[in-house]
Amino acid sequence: MSPVFRAACERLTMLYFELLIQGLIYGSMYAIIAVGLTLVYGLLRILHVAHAGLFALGGYMGLLITNSTGSLILGMPLAAAIVGVVGMAIYRLCYQPILDQPPYVALIASIGLFIAMEEMFRLIFGPFGLTYTNAPLQSVVQFAGIYLRAVDLAIVVGSLSLLGALSWLSQKTRIGLAWRATVDDPQIAESFGISVLNVRYLNFFIGSALAAVAGVFISLLSNLVEPTMGGVPSYKALAIIVLGGLGNVAGTLIASLVLGVVEAFGTIYIGDILDRDAIAFAFLIIVLMIRPEGLFARR
Amino acid sequence: MGIYELSLATVVGINIILAVGLNLITGFCGQISLGHAAFYGIGAYTAALMAKAGMPGPVNLAAAMAMAGAVGVVVGMTSLRVREDFLAITTMGVGFLFLGIVRQQESLLGGELGISSIPTFGVGKMGFFVLVLVLAALSVAFSLYIKRSWMGFAFEAVADDEDTARVISVDVPAYKLAAFALGTALAGLAGGLYCYFARFIVPDDFGFITSISVLSMVAVGGIGSVYGVIVGTALLTLIPEFFRFISDYKLLVYGALLFGVMRFAPDGLAGLTRLAFRRIQRKGGAV
Amino acid sequence: MVKKISIFALAVCLVAGLSGMANAADTIKIGFHAPLTGFAASDGKSSTEGAKLAVNQVNAAGGVLGKQLELVVYDDQAKPAQSIPIANKLIGQDKVVVGISGSYSGATRSAAGVFQEAKIPYISAYGIHPDITRAGEYVFRTSFLGEIQGHAGAKLLGDMMGKKKVVIITLQNDFGKSLAAGFKDKAADYGISIVNEYQYSIKDRQFGSIVAKVKADNPDAIYASGYYFTAGPLVSQLRAAGVTCPVIGQEGYDSQKFIEIAGPAAEGVIITTSLDRDSKVPETADFITAFEKQAGFKSDMVAASGHTAVMVAADAIKRAGSTDPAKVLAAIQTTNLKVSTGTIKFNALGEVMKAVQVQVVKDGNWHHYDVIDDAALLAPPAE
Repeated sequence: MSPVFRAACERLTMLYFELLIQGLIYGSMYAIIAVGLTLVYGLLRILHVAHAGLFALGGYMGLLITNSTGSLILGMPLAAAIVGVVGMAIYRLCYQPILDQPPYVALIASIGLFIAMEEMFRLIFGPFGLTYTNAPLQSVVQFAGIYLRAVDLAIVVGSLSLLGALSWLSQKTRIGLAWRATVDDPQIAESFGISVLNVRYLNFFIGSALAAVAGVFISLLSNLVEPTMGGVPSYKALAIIVLGGLGNVAGTLIASLVLGVVEAFGTIYIGDILDRDAIAFAFLIIVLMIRPEGLFARR
Repeated sequence: MGIYELSLATVVGINIILAVGLNLITGFCGQISLGHAAFYGIGAYTAALMAKAGMPGPVNLAAAMAMAGAVGVVVGMTSLRVREDFLAITTMGVGFLFLGIVRQQESLLGGELGISSIPTFGVGKMGFFVLVLVLAALSVAFSLYIKRSWMGFAFEAVADDEDTARVISVDVPAYKLAAFALGTALAGLAGGLYCYFARFIVPDDFGFITSISVLSMVAVGGIGSVYGVIVGTALLTLIPEFFRFISDYKLLVYGALLFGVMRFAPDGLAGLTRLAFRRIQRKGGAV
Repeated sequence: MVKKISIFALAVCLVAGLSGMANAADTIKIGFHAPLTGFAASDGKSSTEGAKLAVNQVNAAGGVLGKQLELVVYDDQAKPAQSIPIANKLIGQDKVVVGISGSYSGATRSAAGVFQEAKIPYISAYGIHPDITRAGEYVFRTSFLGEIQGHAGAKLLGDMMGKKKVVIITLQNDFGKSLAAGFKDKAADYGISIVNEYQYSIKDRQFGSIVAKVKADNPDAIYASGYYFTAGPLVSQLRAAGVTCPVIGQEGYDSQKFIEIAGPAAEGVIITTSLDRDSKVPETADFITAFEKQAGFKSDMVAASGHTAVMVAADAIKRAGSTDPAKVLAAIQTTNLKVSTGTIKFNALGEVMKAVQVQVVKDGNWHHYDVIDDAALLAPPAE
């Protein structure tokens, strides 16, 4: 092999490696948003579009708290807690009364709620978006010629550890047992003395808190919180949970990472033919035509 | 009627055709589609290209219907493979795919710059409104006819429970495809009319938001009810006009209304009317 | 409940009635539509504030033809399906003398046809689509065409900065596409070779994969189209990845918000635009201070364009000495007016002819870098 050729090969491998890493960052981002959504779907069979509104609310809360206290350590958990409670309220006030209606009813109610939330953000916080006065996690880390920001790493590490904790919670604790029993059959769970209502509250709290964490992470990536920041997650997260097999948490994680990588490579190599959304959905349609229940069917 | 009212009424008419079409698929046959705007777009682009090539208006409208209906059958085939929420997201994907393709097709479809200087239909503003009105009335009549026919019955069986429908030997795939063909053809017709109305089309006119707003018209009106859908369409189309005086809160009101109707009257306005009628009747009986 | 509703209805009627009475006072109406809600609301807000400032300034100086100007503003959500009824409403109900668009291309191009048909002059403040002015002789544009700004970008990069190996990052909409087309059109003339072109959607804020690829391309400079909300994250992500070559943008970057988002990474970014922040020209300098005072936020290109369009309309009505559309049209055609975005003159198609301002980010603010005043290069199409 000539040295020139070898150098070219190395550069290309390097590029692929970098694209792969970027794809995993995209994917981790999607994962934290989508897991909350798939939790809600698993339990209630609702396509909860307003989840993206909670994601944006998380971004706003995290930014406002961080800016006023100067501490992200305070900003992120507080944002998650606030949004978690809002999520519970949304379940109680918006979804619970229409659970026995056909699925499109909750879907459209959710879309209406999402539009109203976006407009509230615009009216309250202005149309121009907000930025961090002193954005945290922006220092650059360098290894093997790859430059990453602390926030890039935080997203990957954060999403994997949060999802790890979630799986521990569902597999190894009594709460998890109650949750799984309720997913399987709410009526039987109820007869075993499990409070289905409490399980649902917990479900919405955790899902919404995760959305808020995602919102804070993404606002750190772009140093921008805007009223429309939930726009892309509002539909792409739906695609991801369908890809992962609706209601399947592990499937959702893998689907997120796969989609992230497909997008990272797709925008570079077929960006002339299809845009990023179209690449994602072309992938979705192909997968569904081969496996109509998604990559990983529900247990 | 001033030119302002005329243009508003024309928009309402076009939206009625669009919504009645979706109601055929989603209301009658129970197949949720989140990609209806794609067929609206296919109709608009077909008619626009043919109009620019000098073809006469009626031919272009027919072609818009045929083209959208044909693609509709292909997309409908996915409904044979995936069901319910999976289908909803698949059709949503079709919408994004359509948009993605149109955006990058510069030489033929104008890409991001769209197609401009589309010739008029050649009947004047009033004439065009009458045309839209007549076509909307025909779509409504057709839709009512379907509902009362054997086909409507079969649609209902599929919507209720596919497996049961199969047991009573309804040819489920055929009826699903029929619903998609008819519904998307109506969307194509609406698209053709829209291209003559706006005389300028860009990909963004036919995006996800458009799909959602059509579905909202159907749901707010009362899914499955033709009259409900007409009222829902007129209401949601005109709301921005009613609320012009509170410009800043317009979209907020729209979102809240969408949510409010689904939360408090899940059967839409049609369901609400039925309920009111029943109450009046009951009261009348008591007296 | 019923009582409450009827009281509310009464109140609405009363308000409507009162405003109707105010309307009856003798004013000259200028129609204005912009996206005040929805995804484009930030630009709608800026352009509307700019237009309102112009109206206030004209009125404070005694109005036009002895009457006060009145701006009739409607929200179009940047949608053609809304801008067409609005255009009809402005013409049919409000009887405006001139219509102005503070909106995006789609909504503007559709409304332009309505104004042309009604033979009412119409000015697009910053719509980029080349076909807007082709709606007819009643339609004008006070901002640059995307292609023209792309030409200016090519001259800036290849000629003035001497950069030859360029990567293009294109925003996938009419604005980005026409900029890229104009840039590519003139690139060869200035010895520029285009290494690669990447596209992104207006919804993207994460550019990791494009950045990685650009880094591998190792260009001399990057020509990236976008708005402040895409360009801010893009530039900061490029810099964080260790890409240090110059980044050239356009008027879409032209907002204080861009610098806020990108932070230190914004330093040294150069753009082609129509507002010179260091201008000693009183029209521009006054606008910049007056706008911030009125709106409460810093002015940008969109605001200046809204302001310019209203000023052009007011000036034309004044010179026409009448509100007769045909006379106002003739007056607009012969405009020669010094305003916030430069000296405005129109060609036969209704396209503006003015110099391109080049601005650079220095110490957290936009500053003067250069001016491109090459009439042949910047000549808009005349038909």
